Amino acid sequence: SIGLALADTLDDLIGSRRIEPQLAIRIMQNFDQSIATVLGEKVKARMTFKGHLDTYRFCDEVWTFIIKDIHFKMDGNNQFDAEKIKIVACLAKDKTAA
Amino acid sequence: MSPDTSRSNTPNSREPIPTTPLPIHGPTISNIVCGAHLNCLFDLHHIALSARNVMYNPKRFPAAVIRHRRPKATGLVFATGKLQVLGCRSVSDAVLACRRFARMLQKLGYQPRLEDFVVQNIVANADTRMLIRLEGLQYAHPAFCRYEPEIFPGLVYSIMEPKMTVLVFAGGKLVLLGAKNEGDLEKAVKVLYPVLTLFRRS
Repeated sequence: SIGLALADTLDDLIGSRRIEPQLAIRIMQNFDQSIATVLGEKVKARMTFKGHLDTYRFCDEVWTFIIKDIHFKMDGNNQFDAEKIKIVACLAKDKTAA
Repeated sequence: MSPDTSRSNTPNSREPIPTTPLPIHGPTISNIVCGAHLNCLFDLHHIALSARNVMYNPKRFPAAVIRHRRPKATGLVFATGKLQVLGCRSVSDAVLACRRFARMLQKLGYQPRLEDFVVQNIVANADTRMLIRLEGLQYAHPAFCRYEPEIFPGLVYSIMEPKMTVLVFAGGKLVLLGAKNEGDLEKAVKVLYPVLTLFRRS
C-alpha cells in the first residue's frame, strides 16, 4: 500500500542519512492526515462484499475480522471471489493509526 | 374463582391444584443468565489478543465479551475470575457453555476451576391464545400491575410467589422474567393463567 511504500522510502532515506528521523515522523503524520481527508472526501469508487464472518476481535480500539468465502462487487460490473480475507480496521479520528 | 383481593395472589389453598395441563403455549425459555466463579485471575488484554471472537473495550465495560457458536452463548469474563454466561436456551446448555468457556481459558494458559454455578435469571415466552383486557386486570389488581399504554403496550405484573415479573400483552402473549429455575416458570404460569382468564376479551 501507499503508506507502507512511504514508510520504506523514509527508512531508506534515514539509513542513507539524507533526512532526519524527526522529519520522517513529521512526514508520516502529514501523510496520515492527508490520506484520511482524501479517502473521506475525494475517492468515489464503491465496493461491496458479502461473506461469512469466521472470526472477529476488538482490542485496543482495533477491529480484526477474518471473513471466508467472500464475493466482491466493484462498480457493478467487476466481480471476483476470495476464499479468505483479513480486515484490520481502526478509528478514523485516531491520528496515531498506522 | 373470584378475583384475589388479599396481598398474596396465589390461588385459594382449599382449591384443588389443577392437574389438567393449561391450554397455554409454552413457557419456552428464550434466555438464561447465569454466573460462575472461575477461581483464577485473568489478563483480559491477553485474552482479547489470543482468543477468537472476543470484544474487549475496557473504557466502556470492564469485561471481555466472548461468543461461542455451539452452544450459542455469550460469556462475560472479568479480570477477577467471575464469568457470566448469557443467551442459552436451557439450563443444561448454560452449564455446557460455562464448561466450554472454562476450557477455552484453560487452553490460553490459565487454570480455571468452575465453581458456584448459579442461574440468575430465566426469561421465557408463553402464549395464552386469548385476548386480554389489560385495563380490567389493572383495575382489579392495582397492587400488582403497572400499565401505562402510552409508554409501553404491555402490562407489568409482579408475582409474589415465585418472585417474578410477567409482561402481559393484550394479544395474550406473556414474557416471564426473573425466574431462577424451570419450576418457577411453571408455577408462575399456573398462578397467573386463572387470573388472566377472568379478563378475557370475549
